[in-house]
Amino acid sequence: MPPIKLAIIGAGPSSFYVASRLLASLPPSSPHHSALRIHMYDRLWAPHGLVRYGVAPDHPEVKNCTHKFDDAASDLRLQFFGNVNIITTPPIAPVPGSVMLPLKSLISHYTHLLLSSGCTLPTLHPALPPSDDCVSALSLVHWYTQHPSVVHKPPPPLEKYKHVSIIGQGNVSLDVARMLLTPPSTLEKYDVPESVLEVLRRSSIKHVSILGRRGPLQAAFTTKELREMMNLEDSSMVPIDHTHLAIPEGTKLTRQQSRTMQLLQKGSKNKPGLDFQDLVVGLLRSPTGLAPPLSSLASPSLPYTLSLAHNELSPEMRAIPTGETSTLRTSMVVTALGHQAEPTIPWYDPSLRHVRAVGSRVVNETGHTMKNVYASGWAAMGARGVLVSTMIDAYGVADTMLADSFPEQFYKEGDALRSATDGGSLGDLSEVMAKEADLDSVPEEVLDAKATGNVTDYNDWRMIDQEEVRRGEKLGKERERMNWEDAKAFLGRMGGSL
Amino acid sequence: MFRSIASQTLVRSSFRTYANGVPALRSIRPQNISPRSIRLFHQSFINYHGHIHKPKPGEELHVTFITKDGKQHEFEVAEGDNILDIAQAYNLDMEGACGGSCACSTCHVIIDPEFYDEIPEPDDDENDMLDLAFGLTETSRLGCQIVMTKELDGIRVALPAMTRNLQSKDFN
Ligand SMILES: Cc1cc2nc3c(=O)[nH]c(=O)nc-3n(C[C@H](O)[C@H](O)[C@H](O)COP(=O)(O)OP(=O)(O)OC[C@H]3O[C@@H](n4cnc5c(N)ncnc54)[C@H](O)[C@@H]3O)c2cc1C
Ligand code: FES
Repeated sequence: MPPIKLAIIGAGPSSFYVASRLLASLPPSSPHHSALRIHMYDRLWAPHGLVRYGVAPDHPEVKNCTHKFDDAASDLRLQFFGNVNIITTPPIAPVPGSVMLPLKSLISHYTHLLLSSGCTLPTLHPALPPSDDCVSALSLVHWYTQHPSVVHKPPPPLEKYKHVSIIGQGNVSLDVARMLLTPPSTLEKYDVPESVLEVLRRSSIKHVSILGRRGPLQAAFTTKELREMMNLEDSSMVPIDHTHLAIPEGTKLTRQQSRTMQLLQKGSKNKPGLDFQDLVVGLLRSPTGLAPPLSSLASPSLPYTLSLAHNELSPEMRAIPTGETSTLRTSMVVTALGHQAEPTIPWYDPSLRHVRAVGSRVVNETGHTMKNVYASGWAAMGARGVLVSTMIDAYGVADTMLADSFPEQFYKEGDALRSATDGGSLGDLSEVMAKEADLDSVPEEVLDAKATGNVTDYNDWRMIDQEEVRRGEKLGKERERMNWEDAKAFLGRMGGSL
Repeated sequence: MFRSIASQTLVRSSFRTYANGVPALRSIRPQNISPRSIRLFHQSFINYHGHIHKPKPGEELHVTFITKDGKQHEFEVAEGDNILDIAQAYNLDMEGACGGSCACSTCHVIIDPEFYDEIPEPDDDENDMLDLAFGLTETSRLGCQIVMTKELDGIRVALPAMTRNLQSKDFN
């Protein structure tokens, strides 16, 4: 059987879960143990995707999944190449410092390809074009995690803002709300960079409204995140209008829905009215426009007027406008409406807004399965699901890859694309990957860039990781993050390991 | 397996988060066949690097794991150790992505109904995570939150399948 020499685009959790499953499924006792090589490419210098540059700092436990990723990376069959951006067309917004590697150069060195590049673009709202004071939640997440793309951008001027309107009812909107409402003295023990804490300490935010177009039963946040909102130490929630919490007759609630309703009905731990920051959860409201600031306004801290259309739910649970409208004075609008993949990734489907994949395998626009090309995680499913679902998906993708590559050994039941009989064929296949590849070769562009010190490997990351924790300890916190400039300087000091 | 796996709606719920509620294009069905074969492990395989303790003579408690391939694995364990740590110490295929902090639901297990009521009720944090567990059942719990006590001596715990099925044909 030919070996698996796999290139993975992206080094987020999905990528690591696929890799770790492949490595574990071909242990030293397996005849195919040495027939596996995995090269993981990420355009960021640090691995772990949204676990490093997404998960909220006050969820440190969630980041414990990286222990498993570290274990996988200690297998010599896996190599990580940070700062390598795989491109099909010249990128619109290049990541500073990263090396451009055309997909073509990559695939000539590999027999297998996995697209695990996530959903890295925020979905925007047609009525709310981005501006200085109207930003995506992702841009705030990038700021508080110091994502490499924001290094030279100014921080949000929170000292100017009194009221923030967050559009969207998912966990990311609650993450952002929590970051803005939690006292910096509580956040400072976590992985929040000092520069971010400084801005948060200057914040004038007193009110946050979270607005969603549908009702509580359709909201996408998890009960854990909602409970955290209800328990914020210096904030209280303005009670929700009872009519919005009514459950339509005959509706059978899922376990999660009934717990969400209970939480919303019970309200926040702090009762409103005292000197708390307040939180409004506005259900059944769709923004229709944001009027530009008027200099003549009496209240300069609330310069914008956000127009809202009121909705009701149709029997199919769609938001239908009732015709009523209202306005809200606000200082800043944050849109948290989900994420999508970048249109420049290979086998992107514009109607899905992510990679076109069926049962783990990538399919081209004419419906042909691409031989040995797979997709996993948010790149394959769209931006939905917490880590547990990303992990389960990844294991399924690894299993498919094993069954396709070593059919004499692995067999996957219920595989939609294969015919029912064992070893059935996949039908028409299109081929792009190399038929054979030197197990240890790497594209020349990558070797050149590595020689100049611009490409990181997992050992570099381990050193940075330790150093960040050490710098954090000195400040009494979980870690103090480095940016690429700091990391380069640090690695250089360590005796030129680059 | 002593109980079949959950309804599709509950499974779906884990896909609703961080998104706008549209079910995933690729559906993943819970099934109860092994992703790869698991050998029977003996006491000698134990990895005391995990956080489990050696039971004092005469105070051994018993726990039986039923793995995805239907095999049973019985161990003698000490009071105070939790199910996740025990499974990991014996190299059973149980995930613990958040390291036992009740923040991920990857350590989901299904408890033998006979023992379910002996375990102290799940707290809010555990319930919040169970909402997201894959293939939830009426006797589902999180392994990292179940601590062995005398009442639980003899408990039987099944590990739910974490993927669609892959079967290993001939090697172990
Ligand atoms: C703000 C936020 C907070 C979250 N918080 C939680 C939480 O608390 N708990 C939880 O369970 N889940 C959380 N999630 C969900 C979780 O992060 C996802 O389930 C998971 O990260 C998806 O993994 P992935 O590997 O598919 O994508 P990603 O994590 O996005 O990884 C994709 C990787 O691909 C790289 N990449 C993209 N394009 C290229 C290219 N062209 N070349 C090279 N590399 C490329 C990216 O740099 C990135 O590192 C959160 C998500 C978000 C957005
Ligand atoms: S290990 Fe994460 S919830 Fe148990």
